[in-house]
Amino acid sequence: MNGAKVELRGLRRNFSGTAALDGLDLTIESGELIALLGPSGCGKTTALRCVAGFEQPDEGTVLVDGKDITRVPANKRDAGMVFQSYSLFPNLNIRDNVAFGLRVRKVPAAKRHARAQELLELIGLPHIGGRFPHQLSGGQQQRVALARALALEPRVLLLDEPLSALDAKVRVSLREEIRRLQLSLGITTIFVTHDQEEALSMADRVAVLRAGRLEQVADPATLYDRPATPFVAEFVGTMNRVPGRIDGNQVAVLGQTLPVDGDLPGTPDVDVLIRPEAVRLTPDAEAEGMVLVSSFRGSTAQLRVQLGDIEVLADVPGHDSVRLAPGTRVRIELVERPVLVSASSGATAASAKTPVPEHDVV
Amino acid sequence: MSAPSAVRTASASGGRRTKSKSWLATVPLLAFVALIFGVPLVIILGGTFKRDGAFSAANITESVQGAYLTAMIGSVKLSALVAVVGALLGTFLAQAVVTSRFRLLREAVLTASGVLSNFGGIPLAFAWIATLGNSGVITKALGLDSAGWSLYNFWGLALVYLYFSIPLMVVVVVPALDGLRQQWREAAQNNGANTWQYWRHVGIPVLTPTLLGGVVLLFGGAFAAYATAAAMVGGTVPLVTLQIANALSGNVLIGHENVALALSLDMIIIAGLVMAVYLPLQRRSARWLR
Amino acid sequence: MAALTPEGPMAQLTPPAVAAGPVSGPGRRRRIRVWRGAILAIAAVYFLVPLIASFTFTVKAPEQDFSLDAYGQIFTTEGFGQSLLLSIGLGVATIAVVLLLTLPAMLAVRLRVPKMKPIMEIVCTLPLVVPPITFVAGINTVLQFGPDYLASTPFYQTIFAIQDENFPVVLVLAYVILALPFVYRSLDAGLGAIDVRTLVEAARNLGASWPHLIFRVIVPNLRSSLASASFLTLALVLGEFTIASLLHFQTFPVWIYTISGSQAQVSVAVSVFSLLITWLLLLVLSSAGARQRSGS
Repeated sequence: MNGAKVELRGLRRNFSGTAALDGLDLTIESGELIALLGPSGCGKTTALRCVAGFEQPDEGTVLVDGKDITRVPANKRDAGMVFQSYSLFPNLNIRDNVAFGLRVRKVPAAKRHARAQELLELIGLPHIGGRFPHQLSGGQQQRVALARALALEPRVLLLDEPLSALDAKVRVSLREEIRRLQLSLGITTIFVTHDQEEALSMADRVAVLRAGRLEQVADPATLYDRPATPFVAEFVGTMNRVPGRIDGNQVAVLGQTLPVDGDLPGTPDVDVLIRPEAVRLTPDAEAEGMVLVSSFRGSTAQLRVQLGDIEVLADVPGHDSVRLAPGTRVRIELVERPVLVSASSGATAASAKTPVPEHDVV
Repeated sequence: MSAPSAVRTASASGGRRTKSKSWLATVPLLAFVALIFGVPLVIILGGTFKRDGAFSAANITESVQGAYLTAMIGSVKLSALVAVVGALLGTFLAQAVVTSRFRLLREAVLTASGVLSNFGGIPLAFAWIATLGNSGVITKALGLDSAGWSLYNFWGLALVYLYFSIPLMVVVVVPALDGLRQQWREAAQNNGANTWQYWRHVGIPVLTPTLLGGVVLLFGGAFAAYATAAAMVGGTVPLVTLQIANALSGNVLIGHENVALALSLDMIIIAGLVMAVYLPLQRRSARWLR
Repeated sequence: MAALTPEGPMAQLTPPAVAAGPVSGPGRRRRIRVWRGAILAIAAVYFLVPLIASFTFTVKAPEQDFSLDAYGQIFTTEGFGQSLLLSIGLGVATIAVVLLLTLPAMLAVRLRVPKMKPIMEIVCTLPLVVPPITFVAGINTVLQFGPDYLASTPFYQTIFAIQDENFPVVLVLAYVILALPFVYRSLDAGLGAIDVRTLVEAARNLGASWPHLIFRVIVPNLRSSLASASFLTLALVLGEFTIASLLHFQTFPVWIYTISGSQAQVSVAVSVFSLLITWLLLLVLSSAGARQRSGS
């Protein structure tokens, strides 16, 4: 089973005046797992459905191995899809659910059942063939949905937030399993998610979408360390926004001067984007900063520090949390490395709308 | 009602106390049903097997012969026709409404269905008599009377019974159609199924319990209907409800009064068999469409 | 932008016509639209023509001009007020009795004796199996032969008392049985929608007495299902013909039937009128239900 190369070229799709896709260009290499990441309404699901054939782009083309499939009906496409939830057919048992595609293709029953059994073993549920969907847990249902999507040996696998309806624990184990299967089958996979942790931990590359456009596509480490835009920086991982002032190619922030990475906004007053782990704290009774809240996470602790009228998040090693207990006066120091800046948040509407997810930093 | 003390002890101990007397609250209802519903049923059963003061199967034998048999067959035929045609047309109408983009249309049809499914009896008969009866508005306007049209026969009754049966089917089937998830359709397409194959393997099987349940409900409604038939056709169409009413009004041979009870028993048995099919079906569809 | 949740735009904006088929080419979509339009048009004709024709029938007799006289005559026709009042009275009494019987029983079963639920379900569904005409056959027999057996007991008087022509209690008793399946289903749905157990425990925990609990906590929460149960019962009683006519009581539907021989126009006018009233009741009911839903 070899993966196909999938290309999206200039995809546009409008829903009664709102652009869900606004000229999306993206190439997915053969055998790669790419995550489409973005907030609600960024167009990631629409893009996936254009590949599956459930959605027709108003403009643009979808190519699979260089062949234009934009107008090919959904049931003639070579892509298996796993839906968010409840997609198993309630009237069929698990074996018949998995073998549905083979039945439609009139494969003889014996062969069909053998293939279904093979797939059930692949997903680690060999004994449930005779059960019905309502008798399975949510995690089991999604595994079966995965088996069904793989039954016809498609060259592209499409995953539409398949884990979002599951418990945290099941979610983690299932995403590892999906990745393992994907690597062993070498199938090109497009994975839609709004969970950045999921995207970073599973994907070869992550494509961040915003308002129907591609914001950045890169491997997880690059995306996290060198986000191309403030939007990506804030959407992936946690970011502090600290006011600073531009001075040439540098920015003055919290009494330090740091080199600026990326574009400069027009105004001298900016917000400087700083990762919590780039904030160093030292106890100092004379200092202006004070620890407000400390949340211990084992290897690290995240502290919320009040500094004048702003608050700064800082990640410190877990064992430091004792001497940096809430109420402690601290001095703040930033790690010396290039930083991203964006126009002051009070001035721009765009950044105010951008949700900053409160996820743990990976 | 003794429920208060029961609740207090149970919540205090946190467990179940078998001493609870809460079941007493159900006694009035059960006693009422036993007396008002049970006694007449027992009388029907007892009276069916009694003639001239002695045990006899004569009534039940008579009830399945001659004119009575014709009436029974007529009722079953009419009900089956109305049930099947009503279920089909109701399903198509429901599907047309459910897939429509216009929310207002949907609301209007659902509300109208709720009202019309309760629109039976005398007013329904008169509305149709005024429309397609011998001097009905449409009959006159289209000159149907000279073409030999008559509403007062088997087919006319079927036409009128559909007027409350189709809306009833819409009420029954719309929730089931809403319960068909878009993911199922898309998953089927994704596995290479075309529209027909989706309906054949998923859509229709999932709807089947509801559809059969609807057929049963429609059958029961048409089978039990009396007022509409009485007002429309009197005695010209042989129906078992009309025969029972006839017998109750004294139009039987002396000593054969209990034939009405035997006919009632026949009806209850048929309706009971039909309902026995309905309940398990309904349970299954509830599980699938949750 | 916030409204565009990932599943939102698909569910809301994809025209269901597209969802109806995988190959959603423009030709196919048009075919579906034509098909749907045809069905809706035929349905509209079938369901509207009798209503319009009935109305026409009542306002325009042959060789005469438009006139609403038939509707005016409803009120002056002998027996109208009496029979309507009787039917309404029977309806109100039936609602009171059926709710008094079912509500405590269903609450007790749900809260304390869930084991009895299957029994309740069967008992309350059984009347559906028994067509009213057979039920009345049984009742009629009891009323005829009862006195013979009961002549020496106080029940003898009762049998006559419940057949009082001015307010036949026997009809109330029969209608309670007929209404039972609908009331049960409606209340069961209502009780299922609110978590009665938690509600009761919370209220008891706050020191509420049982009467207070039932009338101030449970009944308000069941308002819409109580309303729909009452409406269905009222509609049933106002339209019930079989039992009343065979037991020879002059209720509203029996009255309509009686006058139809001599005053066809008036009887059709009453039929149209009664449909309008049912419609109105249902609208009031559904808007009350909607208000409650948006309130909670």
